[in-house]
Amino acid sequence: MRADERSQTQMNSPESSSSRNFMTTRTVRALTEAAGLLRAPQRIVPLFSKLASDGLRTTFEHRHLYSYVATTIPTADALRSAVNWILDAQRPGGGIAAYYSFLTGYSDSYPEVTGYIIPTLFDFGRLTGDLVARHAAYLATDWLLSLQMPSGAFPGGLHGSDTGPGNNAQPSVFNTGQILQGLVRAHTETRNAKILKSAVAAGDWLAAIQQADGSWTGPAAYQGTAHTYYSMVSWALAQLATESGHARYAAAADRNIDWVLAQVQPSGWIDGINLRGHPAYLHFIAYVIQGMLECGILRQRDEAIQAAAKAAWVLLRKFETHKRLLGTYEPDFRGGQRFACLTGNAQMSCAWLRLFEVTGDLRYLNAALKMNEMLKQLLPAKGRRGVVGGVAGSYPIWGAYQPMRFISWGCKFLADALMLEQRLTRKFEAEFEAKFEVKPETKSEASGCA
Amino acid sequence: MRVVILCSSPYSEAGCALTARLAQLGYIPVGALTLPSWDRRTLLRKVGQWGLHDSLHYAVAKLSPRKSTIQKQIRNPYLESALRHGDGVFRSVRDVARTYMFPVVACSAQNSPRAVAQLKQWSPDLAIFTGGDILRDEVLNVPRLGILNAHLALLPEIRGMSSPEWSLLCGVPLGITIHLMDSGIDTGPILLRREFAGANDRDSLAGLRNKMIAEGIELIAQAVAGLDRGTISSVTQADREKDSQFFVMHEQLKAVATRRLTEGRLTEGRSKNDRSKNDRLNPVAGKCDGSGGFNG
Repeated sequence: MRADERSQTQMNSPESSSSRNFMTTRTVRALTEAAGLLRAPQRIVPLFSKLASDGLRTTFEHRHLYSYVATTIPTADALRSAVNWILDAQRPGGGIAAYYSFLTGYSDSYPEVTGYIIPTLFDFGRLTGDLVARHAAYLATDWLLSLQMPSGAFPGGLHGSDTGPGNNAQPSVFNTGQILQGLVRAHTETRNAKILKSAVAAGDWLAAIQQADGSWTGPAAYQGTAHTYYSMVSWALAQLATESGHARYAAAADRNIDWVLAQVQPSGWIDGINLRGHPAYLHFIAYVIQGMLECGILRQRDEAIQAAAKAAWVLLRKFETHKRLLGTYEPDFRGGQRFACLTGNAQMSCAWLRLFEVTGDLRYLNAALKMNEMLKQLLPAKGRRGVVGGVAGSYPIWGAYQPMRFISWGCKFLADALMLEQRLTRKFEAEFEAKFEVKPETKSEASGCA
Repeated sequence: MRVVILCSSPYSEAGCALTARLAQLGYIPVGALTLPSWDRRTLLRKVGQWGLHDSLHYAVAKLSPRKSTIQKQIRNPYLESALRHGDGVFRSVRDVARTYMFPVVACSAQNSPRAVAQLKQWSPDLAIFTGGDILRDEVLNVPRLGILNAHLALLPEIRGMSSPEWSLLCGVPLGITIHLMDSGIDTGPILLRREFAGANDRDSLAGLRNKMIAEGIELIAQAVAGLDRGTISSVTQADREKDSQFFVMHEQLKAVATRRLTEGRLTEGRSKNDRSKNDRLNPVAGKCDGSGGFNG
């Protein structure tokens, strides 16, 4: 396993049980990646161009209360651009690369991300009638089915890495959960019994190794510890319960949500991200919120929705006040690192939009529209394959989360947010028109009042 | 009564009109504290708020030699009566100050030690906020009676920014509230609370806001007179602790609010079902909340 792959794996949904010297890892990664740039000097100009543009932008940009209130880039164009990035990142076998690095180019395929990109591709196909996206989702599903372990689990790591799919494959709770999301959706779309069988096997494995308190620990959990961001796994299990009709998956999802709810603090902060050696990146904070919210919606657990809403509201206020979210947060949402974790921003937009859908509170929609506008403005409109339409790990590009990379899960969450925006704004406008429909007799009353 | 005006800029039209109106009524300020007009932060915020074209138009109207007609010099036509002065027009608080002989002091921030010291030196009974920073306790505690704000919506229903727009979108009647400021956003005690009946289906959102600002100035004048005579008193907001703040509205939602305004749909509110669903699942839900003074 290359050091950069290991590090990348750990940052997103890591599953190695051994603790590492992270400083050494980072140094090795930096050297390895720098060597990659020497092997492909054609990336030098785009790299320095991006460094310069982010440097200029961060120096001169001025965010204020009125930032991002206007639409400067059509949502449909940005959506197409982000999905095209994902399609470009799909390898011939069907897996989707984790990232495109200015230093090392495209990574190997990443099973976890490939799994939860499948719903995005199907959604895009439905929204636009794009058959290429649907075909890409089928290919990705077939590839994932070929990776499933006899236990039903899926391996962690990048494809081809020594802990990833292959002889030394290590099962991973988080990756299995994320892949399960894709399998469930693929079954919904295709009604293919083979896919459901695979999903059920994955669900059975997850339920079997779940601890009595609802968490997942042990060798298949990253660093061997329980993590609240595994609420994303319980979301997948809740989806499987709905799809398969088996209550055992719902019970497993409920148990995990109960455990996550026990970690909620009065400030709205949810303890238990538990990433030794890493700060709490917004990406993981948003995972906790999204997983709990979506699972709460599916399982009709109001207390889970309320807990997610409370945390999401704290972040909404921060965003509306400063027009930025920090890349990392200390417990109780105290300060953190000042770069932007763009993926986490896109995830929060998704969470706000879903909260608008559930609660009808327009402030969530309003914030999401602005967040999406900010993210659209940061999408590269020009550049080489791997760059154009990509969502950078960090803004500026040298920030601490996935530096110098455009990451596939960032594009996934941005595409999700933009599709949600389109669906919900259309629905809201239609409902608003219907609610305030002016009948001939009431119009005169209204005019009179005015 | 010793009154001080707090302005976001010497060229703030609302601040200028309010100052002139109060002076016409005999309440000549003991001083006006303004933020600078030309700092980068203010300029960028204004461009963001109004767009480049309107910002340039405003700057030209305020700064060009007085050759243009009075209408061209005034951005908000409903303030014309307050801003007219003989054959001309007050284009800045400094113009008003020269006429009525009171000092205007510029400071980098309304919470700055210099601003606080200046306020203390003036020793006001009352200050009136027409725009600027979120005020801290050091400033809020200086005037004997407090600091007045005209909020362009009914409180406590709609707190925060873009309040007329949020009123339209949330089905809350348009209104204006005069309140004393405290450390929260539009959470201070209420002096006057009036529904606004001046909207019509030919109004744009900007036009509506202009009308409401003019009405707000009249209500502020009423409140000052009432406080001076001791005929009005403040009422604490019941749900002060509820986090019910709205923020600047995105243009996509503004377009929906505009449709509601221009189609004359001003009397119908949200259904009870909407509210109960909202309140049940959303721990931060107000009745439909938000903030902002003349900026609100």
